[in-house]
Amino acid sequence: MYKSRSERTYQIVIHVLVILIVISAVFPLLYVLGMSLTGQVEMMKRNYFVIIPHEPTFAAYERILVSPLIWKSFGISVFRSAIGTGLMLLLTVVGAYVLSVRTLPGRNIMLFLVVATILFNAGLIPTYLVVKQLGLINSVWSLVLLYLVDSFGLLVIKIFIENLPDGLIEAGKIDGASEMQMLVRIVVPLAAPALAAIGLFSMVFHWNSWFDAMVYLNDANLFPMQLILKNMLTAASSDAMQALVINGSAITPESMKMATVIVGTLPILMVYPFLQKYFVKGVYMGAVKG
Amino acid sequence: MSEAKRPSAGKTAVVTAAVTGSAVTAESPGGVLKKSLWKRIQQHRTLYLLFIPVLAYFLVFKYWPILLAWVVAFKELQLGSGVFESPWVGLQNFKDIFLSPDIPTVIRNTIEISVLRLVCGFLPPIILAIMFHDMATRRLKRWLQTLVYIPHFFSWVIVFGVVFGFFSVGSGFVNNMLASFGFDRHEFLLDSSWFRPILIGSALWKEIGWSTIIYLAALSTVDSQLYEAAVIDGAGPLKRMRHITLPSIMPVVTFVLCINLGFLLNAGGEQILLFYNDAVLDKADVIDTWVYREGLARLQFSLATAVGLFQSVIGLALVVICNYFAKKISGRGIW
Repeated sequence: MYKSRSERTYQIVIHVLVILIVISAVFPLLYVLGMSLTGQVEMMKRNYFVIIPHEPTFAAYERILVSPLIWKSFGISVFRSAIGTGLMLLLTVVGAYVLSVRTLPGRNIMLFLVVATILFNAGLIPTYLVVKQLGLINSVWSLVLLYLVDSFGLLVIKIFIENLPDGLIEAGKIDGASEMQMLVRIVVPLAAPALAAIGLFSMVFHWNSWFDAMVYLNDANLFPMQLILKNMLTAASSDAMQALVINGSAITPESMKMATVIVGTLPILMVYPFLQKYFVKGVYMGAVKG
Repeated sequence: MSEAKRPSAGKTAVVTAAVTGSAVTAESPGGVLKKSLWKRIQQHRTLYLLFIPVLAYFLVFKYWPILLAWVVAFKELQLGSGVFESPWVGLQNFKDIFLSPDIPTVIRNTIEISVLRLVCGFLPPIILAIMFHDMATRRLKRWLQTLVYIPHFFSWVIVFGVVFGFFSVGSGFVNNMLASFGFDRHEFLLDSSWFRPILIGSALWKEIGWSTIIYLAALSTVDSQLYEAAVIDGAGPLKRMRHITLPSIMPVVTFVLCINLGFLLNAGGEQILLFYNDAVLDKADVIDTWVYREGLARLQFSLATAVGLFQSVIGLALVVICNYFAKKISGRGIW
């Protein structure tokens, strides 16, 4: 089909442009990786112009990974991502199922209560005051409870359930299934793809959040990984000028920071290739139906 | 998140789907079912029971804070005394806000940064999406898409780290380049005239790939026979873009544009909080960062709440207005 010269030129032009954009998306990461593996000596020797280190050193990583705080924070991040997402899915699918029942008296009011919170939020301080009143300051549960229901997700799943073939729900009713049985045996398995997509986005959200932890937690032992990384990255560089000597090789504070960035990206990069298509599918599922 | 966020492509897509879908305003089936209301409620009691935890969440974590916002903004909340013992002060907080010297700057910065984000961040994903759509290679295209989506999944902390790696004085890539070409190293991160370009550039880096998805989703519904017919009729790639591709994404484009305008007062506080420092404050301080600093660092709860409330009310009005125009122009709104 695309045979003529103008077609070929066009294809070449867009391929070149897209490849350039993709390179600029990926290159910064590779540069960060290179820096994190470069020691002080090589940096000086090559006049700071290093993209690929000739004598890579893992000293910066060794220094970071011996910090017990990093491992603790990794655990906290896993906790909030797993428990936060699990509970959120549970409540969200229950809410969606209830609101998908068209004959339910009061349904429109309940639905309005959910939708309105998407459009109007109370703001940072009142939310903080509520967390304080509940005694959840300095508790990791604040990071879970605040996101217990995803209003957007609830609406998506509600529509998903409403769009299921009528026969399925009807058949369940005729068989005398209770509401709970319907939910567990019919709705949840059928809505699984939508739930998976919302769950994945929630996990990424929890994994990447740091601001809420900074607001609601005081004890560094409870900080999630992103907040620890943030503190390492923005730490006042009082020692910025002198290099640190670790296991005999000197590394610059910059290399330390770059190693911090890589440590922060690794978990995401490790799961991304396997989950990428589900993320994209999730957005498509939303977008195409609308 | 207690701080309102700009809608990402993903999220807007989801909202659209969610709310333009069927039944937000489903007609009540009143006349159809002849059973009495009480009987219908009884029949569904399990459902109400199931809904209790969901309702409790919304009341405690959404509506209680909204109520507090309206109370605290009109009170002088002192440390140590509870919300309800604190004295009412009427509109004093709002007067203080608009008489304070930093608020006009903060509001101006917020709007300027939002508009800059929109102007610089709006077209690139559309262009990229069209190029992806037109690429004739299958496997290469998929690989490139996979790679360009990656930064979306990084936290702002990571993005800040990458920016630091690029612009720091000591060994940032840009400074190394400058130095090796004989120029002086420059403190980009402490230069207020570089703050906004770096802020917006790094946000574009993070989201350009992912933002294409909403457009690609719209393009995936275009009948490929249209393109085939156009080729047979002798339409070149640019003609096809103009007459098929662009018209097919126009509704989505207007939709995204209007919705972004609705979030004018949310300039992306989470990112700015990481990127800014005292040296660039005059160009960087926005409502979200001001509320965080004054409210939680200086414990000016009432003032910060009042500013937050102002932001939410104006924000709601803007979203409602923009949604109205989105619907009018593109036939598609958030609700």
